[in-house]
Amino acid sequence: MSPGVKLAGGLVVVVGVTTYMAYVGASSSWQYYVTVDECLAEPAKLEGNRVRVSGGVAAGSLQIAADRSRATFCLQGRSARLNVVCDGAVPDNLKENMDVVVEGRLAPGGLLRGDKVLTRCASKYESAAADSSSASSTGKKSP
Amino acid sequence: MRTLGEFCLLAAFVGAGFSAFGCVVGTWRGHRLVRTAGLMAGVISVAALSIVVGALAWALYTKDFSFAYVAQYSSKLLPSHYSLSALWVGQAGSLLLWAFVLGVIALVCRFKPRRETSAMRDPTFGVLMGYLAFLIVVIVFAADPMDASLAAPHDGAGLSPLLQHPAMLIHPPIVFLGYALWTVPFAMACVALVSGRADAGWIREARPWALVAWTVLGVGILLGADWAYEELGWGGYWSWDPVENGSLLPWLTGTALIHGMMAWQFAGVLKKTAFSLALVTFGLCNFATFLTRSGVFSSVHAFSKSPIGWLFLALMAVLLIGGAVILLVRRWLLAAQGGAARSILCRESLVLVSIVSLLLLTAVVVTGTCSTALSTLFSDKPIVVGPAFYNNVLIPTGLTLLLTTAMAPLLRWKVGPSQGQNRWLMGSACAGGVTAILTAVMVSYHPLALAAAGIAVGAVVALAGALILDGQQRHPARPVWGVVTALRCGRGQYAGFLIHLGLVSVALGIVGSSLGHREQEFVMTQGQTVAWAGRDVRLMRRNQRDLADRIVAEAELEIARGGRVEATLVPAQHFHRLQQEWTTEVAIQSTWGGDFYTILHSGTADGQVSLTFVENPMMRWLWLGGGIIVAGALIRLWPQRLHDGNAALAAADGEDELAEETARSVVTRPHWRKIRSLHSAGDP
Repeated sequence: MSPGVKLAGGLVVVVGVTTYMAYVGASSSWQYYVTVDECLAEPAKLEGNRVRVSGGVAAGSLQIAADRSRATFCLQGRSARLNVVCDGAVPDNLKENMDVVVEGRLAPGGLLRGDKVLTRCASKYESAAADSSSASSTGKKSP
Repeated sequence: MRTLGEFCLLAAFVGAGFSAFGCVVGTWRGHRLVRTAGLMAGVISVAALSIVVGALAWALYTKDFSFAYVAQYSSKLLPSHYSLSALWVGQAGSLLLWAFVLGVIALVCRFKPRRETSAMRDPTFGVLMGYLAFLIVVIVFAADPMDASLAAPHDGAGLSPLLQHPAMLIHPPIVFLGYALWTVPFAMACVALVSGRADAGWIREARPWALVAWTVLGVGILLGADWAYEELGWGGYWSWDPVENGSLLPWLTGTALIHGMMAWQFAGVLKKTAFSLALVTFGLCNFATFLTRSGVFSSVHAFSKSPIGWLFLALMAVLLIGGAVILLVRRWLLAAQGGAARSILCRESLVLVSIVSLLLLTAVVVTGTCSTALSTLFSDKPIVVGPAFYNNVLIPTGLTLLLTTAMAPLLRWKVGPSQGQNRWLMGSACAGGVTAILTAVMVSYHPLALAAAGIAVGAVVALAGALILDGQQRHPARPVWGVVTALRCGRGQYAGFLIHLGLVSVALGIVGSSLGHREQEFVMTQGQTVAWAGRDVRLMRRNQRDLADRIVAEAELEIARGGRVEATLVPAQHFHRLQQEWTTEVAIQSTWGGDFYTILHSGTADGQVSLTFVENPMMRWLWLGGGIIVAGALIRLWPQRLHDGNAALAAADGEDELAEETARSVVTRPHWRKIRSLHSAGDP
């Protein structure tokens, strides 16, 4: 067997294993990425699945536990609102009126049980004015 | 000041545009005057840009809020160093810095003293100026840092507390420097392809630039990882975030490019691959900019919504399509000349396997990052993939890369390993096997841990074996002196292997911290001690301090092991008065065994505090790897003397191009230039 054929065989193995691993990884980790309105338009289809939902934290809805291990808030869409209970570390800059992305599972009754909140890096590349004008009234307590 | 800045910005645009035209057309048509005018215009353009940067930096330093940019990103209480760092925080400032850095690089590339003249220099400068003109157009029409405030405010909005971190002072400019540096190999590849001079000459010019760009971007990525590691809520040192992925992509293809260039130079193969990778790497720098600035992707690092990102995406598409067309037209120039390899165990085989692995990883990262857009082709709702998708692919590709890295020192170009090299290959495999067994007995049964530890030790043994064999060949009677000579004459090659060891160290850090990570939450009272992860942690006291710009609340922890106090950690919470925002400041005890990472969450009126302790094994190895890579790159790039007769031995093995050149210079010094030009034409 020539060196070229052996090399081609090795490359086929590397490509094959990598493709298989990518398939397994995608199968176990994919989730729908929807807006609040899309999420509530067809809740039955998404219930029980992992979803990633984008929207704004509604004014007056944010409650953060004293130990910052849980946050509850309403995720505001264009015409609908989704209740969110998020367990896990709450980002320092989570505020009302800011756009966030919540990862979690959609429970029956239109409740999103989140385990991760992605917040935007406030002043990087865009004005912080919108964010700073709406500081949370339920921010964390000082130690 | 602003008027001067606006004028200089326009002058820079006109200068860069004319310079691109003058240098390219002047060279093409052979008009020396036009070419010289183009060079002068380029110099004036960069000088004008430096005035703009100076004006903005001065405005930030003096807190001149009549600049809208300063009012947006600075404030009266912001320390001066963070105020200056705001230069690269905003869209406009970061683009300006990128353009300025590119301009300086273009000047260095054109006017750097060389031993010989090259016909590529002026058109390369022209291409660089063309890209500079593109950046300035974006700045002038879409993100002008000289814009005035409608009414100068009394105080600025200030810098986001999350960005008030020492890494902010160096991480962004280093990443921009990396992106700007990748423009040079791209420009050289363009000129070589279009002019039909697609020989090894452009590789000799472009390879050092590629190595500098690769190192700088790698350092930028590691600094960003360190920052994300210390910033709670950013997902640790790597979370496969779109912005993180964006910076990784050009680094991956750049790694492939450097190795493709070596395969061309020493084995005469992978020519089309090297050209394609030069184009793709630069294209991916623009793609990274699209990811950061388009607002299309969810990222903790940037969420801007701006049309600027789409301009960079369009530029990338034009570059890739144009590059593919030129490669197709010029394919006859790029036929392999090295002949078929005589053994599968030669360096070009390893290079090919590494390039395929790197490109697979690149493809997967692009697919995962763009999964939201791609999934709409087959799903009614967008789909995103999680970290498992990337991690699953990183395991086979990463292990393949580690294996090729470990074997490389004991292989040769074009031919199979010698008898001595075969013996050392077996020896390193045995050492790796024994290490894997010991790891299973003493540390972990996890297959990934066994593989990483085994390959790491195998890599060290293989490098030692290659050095010993090299030394024996140079001075059979005095092997120690032979090793010293080998290191001196084959400096470039061994520096490359040192960089490989740095990557192995990074891999050990990643594997150790991923497999051994554990964390636990505690509620503690003053004076209480808890035992966790082999440590006794005592809460000494709680403090609260009122500073001018913030309130600091902190917990003082005493860390002891075996009854001996090792460290005092002070995790804290900061309340930033201006932004009305809290930030968490973690405290870390770092040792070679791992990091002990402490987070303060909150306190209560009855004296309790809520804390999380995290153990991340082997984190220091990750940062050590970065240091080794930088050291290796510096050694590799340090200018080499061309007067050592011993280099002839290295050249005989075809192992080091500088030594090869050295040998030629020793043997044929009177006609060195002539022979070198013949060598370029004959490739390699």
